[in-house]
Amino acid sequence: MSDALRSGGQGNPRDRILERIRAATGKDAKSATQDLEAVQSRLREHPRGPRPPFNWPELVAQFRAQASALQSTVEVVENLADVPAAIAHYLEDLQLDRRAVSWPEFRGLDWRAAGLQVEQRTVRDGDLVGITGAYAGIAETGTLMLLSGPQTPAAMSLLPDTHIAILRTSRIVEGMEEAWNLLRNEHGKPPRAVNFVSGPSRSGDIEMQIVLGVHGPYRVHIVLVTQDAGTPRELINTDWWRQPART
Amino acid sequence: MARMSGVRADAVAKVPNFEEIRTAGAAIRDRVLSNLDAYLFQFEQAAQARGVIVHWAETGTDVNRIVRDIAQQNGVKKIIKSKSMLGEESSLNHYLQEAGLDVRETDLGEYILQISGETPSHIIAPAIHKSKEDVGELFERVHQMPRKHTIPEMCREARMMLRPHFLSADMGISGANFLIAETGSVVIVTNEGNGRMTTTMPRIHVAITGIEKVIPTLEDLSVLLRLLTRSATGQATSNYISMLTGVRGPNDSDGPEQMHVVIVDNHRTELLASDMREALRCIRCGACMNHCPVYEVIGGHTYGWVYPGPIGSVLTPSYVGLEKAGELPNASTLCGACAVVCPVKIPLPDLMRKLREKSFERKLRPASERLSMRLWGYVAARPKLYALATKLGARMLQWMGGEDKLIHKLPGGLKEWTNGRDMPAPSGKTFRELYAEKKAVGK
Amino acid sequence: MRVALFVTCLVDLFRPSVGFASIKLLEAAGCEVVVPEGQTCCGQPGYNSGDRASAQAVARRVLQDFAAYEYVVAPSGSCAGMIKTHYPELFKDDPAALEQALWLAKRTYELTDFLVNVAKAKAVSASFKGSVTYHDSCSGLRELGVQSQPRALLQAAGVPVKEMANAATCCGFGGTFAVKLGDISSAMAEKKCAGALATGADAIAGGDLGCLLSIEGRLRRRGDDKTKVIHVAELLAGPE
Repeated sequence: MSDALRSGGQGNPRDRILERIRAATGKDAKSATQDLEAVQSRLREHPRGPRPPFNWPELVAQFRAQASALQSTVEVVENLADVPAAIAHYLEDLQLDRRAVSWPEFRGLDWRAAGLQVEQRTVRDGDLVGITGAYAGIAETGTLMLLSGPQTPAAMSLLPDTHIAILRTSRIVEGMEEAWNLLRNEHGKPPRAVNFVSGPSRSGDIEMQIVLGVHGPYRVHIVLVTQDAGTPRELINTDWWRQPART
Repeated sequence: MARMSGVRADAVAKVPNFEEIRTAGAAIRDRVLSNLDAYLFQFEQAAQARGVIVHWAETGTDVNRIVRDIAQQNGVKKIIKSKSMLGEESSLNHYLQEAGLDVRETDLGEYILQISGETPSHIIAPAIHKSKEDVGELFERVHQMPRKHTIPEMCREARMMLRPHFLSADMGISGANFLIAETGSVVIVTNEGNGRMTTTMPRIHVAITGIEKVIPTLEDLSVLLRLLTRSATGQATSNYISMLTGVRGPNDSDGPEQMHVVIVDNHRTELLASDMREALRCIRCGACMNHCPVYEVIGGHTYGWVYPGPIGSVLTPSYVGLEKAGELPNASTLCGACAVVCPVKIPLPDLMRKLREKSFERKLRPASERLSMRLWGYVAARPKLYALATKLGARMLQWMGGEDKLIHKLPGGLKEWTNGRDMPAPSGKTFRELYAEKKAVGK
Repeated sequence: MRVALFVTCLVDLFRPSVGFASIKLLEAAGCEVVVPEGQTCCGQPGYNSGDRASAQAVARRVLQDFAAYEYVVAPSGSCAGMIKTHYPELFKDDPAALEQALWLAKRTYELTDFLVNVAKAKAVSASFKGSVTYHDSCSGLRELGVQSQPRALLQAAGVPVKEMANAATCCGFGGTFAVKLGDISSAMAEKKCAGALATGADAIAGGDLGCLLSIEGRLRRRGDDKTKVIHVAELLAGPE
């Protein structure tokens, strides 16, 4: 039994609370230890629960349909190099600012040729357009999965009025469960923040009328890139607890 | 709330095996509750490994003191808050403001209530009792800006007023929809994005949550999220689901430098030990209140404390005492609509009935009520006496009904019936009498 | 089929015609109907008021009085639900009574449920001319799954049903709730009446007299003396 579990129960709030829990659930020192082992083994196994039938014919089409249903806009380009022109059109159509900030991974794109001024720097209040990548897309709900990190700051998808996300179609997975395995396999453990984003910020707090753009972006635009190497599919279902982690 | 129940029904109808997922959700919650010590221990270990400071609070007073201490030790002046039901339980805002701290609610509904000096009436839509006109008038007065007349304009104005606070706050306080034992993460589900702001921009993040909020794994999170969002707002997913694990890394450009998780008991272990443990399965979706016909009539404030609706009628007496809140479990027709929609199958009517039994046993019900129940029990268990009583009763009621066969005013313990309706009077003889007469004729 | 009729305390006191209509319907469906003499009440008022001891005392009589019959049928989802779903809980600490309770629960039915699913009643007719809107009472609906059965019978009898939007919402009766929190109860009855009247139906029908008394009481108080409020058994059995 670990020291933490063995505590006497009088010392501090933590021990008293845990002691009360054990009393409430009818545990003694022995059963508490056994149960802890069972719990630890369950955490290692992390079995999947039931989920809705995923019987859609095509993953990307499902992602697009769901993302649109949640008021994201979606367009598809072939190559990463096509992205600046696509974004330029999008901004032009909505008569939005042609200046943007982006994650550093998009430094190499020719933004200038598309008539855009895109800086790779920390986002500031007043930046109107934020361009990010995405770690994965979830077809079930049309959701973007973003991981925070030095190269992938979380605020970029949050502060600007418009959030544009570039997502490789090879990174679209069926459901959240596949995304968790991708994360376990590729990173071992979650980064500081995993953000699932499904459309623009919204509120129904006044008279239950849905309004877009409360604290986060007013609009979310997703540019899907079809021809670009992503993670091999076989990595998705392996398990980071049993495999050496990659970083 | 008809709209809220409609959107839930539509969302659930799209998932053919929703019932199976509901059963799994209840099982996940039960598994946690029966091994709560182990799951909390695992959570604590995993969170600490990521640099999170874990605090344990036995009471609401402890919560307030812990949060104030964190603020004072770190020279915090301004705090932004996204919704925390625990904070409501302990009146945290009030306490921190007394301690000289500037605290801003950021959930639009909570913000509206804070600037109008009110408390929430619903856990998902806290300002549901306020009209657009109320909010327009309030904003005009408090913001000193020209009157806004449409809801989008009001939202834009609130965004504009709150944005500077997000960027200048030293500390963000949030609740937690879930704690993940596997990873030591705090999960926050919002639609507005204030939860992300609160946990991304300030240098300190404090998450406050009850001991029961821990769940085992990321897979379990997926199951419960599918239930939560559909049950709460009819969405297949909420806009933002943020899973927060530890503090910012050395090269990160955003995220808090300190992350604290305050794990709170505040009477939950008593509930865990009782025959009402199922109430702790609650994932705070609000479906029970959205579907409660009593809530629809009386509104959330009538419930008197943090949690309204059927779950409030169960939690409030358990947390603040049956002596103070014993009326709540009686404020239900036990119609069962809440139990049908609860995503984790809490048998709410049964729990309310248990509380009624407890108040009856402890003689907390009015003496007249206890006496009349005992009298009824005595008579109804004695058929001859019962036959006589009903024979007299039927005639008395018939007489009271008069010519239009309607009783407009009932006496004594029945008088509330006729406050808002009549009582159709009986025809004068009981079934028992008429049946006996008929049989006699037949012979 | 030998059926014991559980008359229910409200029918006994307020509207005996529902009891006679039930007998008529059951006999027409080929049942031999017995009305056990000692019956009073199912015990629900005590049970839902937290007076477990009184509820048990009353329920014990029911266990005794209805032990000998193949089926027990009540013209009420509330009383049938009490016997079927709550008696086992009420006697969970008394093994002998629990066994009786489980046995009774198995044989107990709400009237329309019994007519459709057990007696397989074919020919039903209604003397009622006009359309009805049907109120689903809570216990019948959510404890026993009574929803399609009364509608099937009404349809077979050629009675047009105009559905109200809030058919499955509680009418506010709730047993002793109606006298403990009368204002809330009446406000709920008002919502029910508004939904029912919006259909333009000539009558409001239901399977539980408690709900019907509350609904009718509210209708009359708001000045409506034209819309009929009628138990589904009366409606299907026609006049005496």
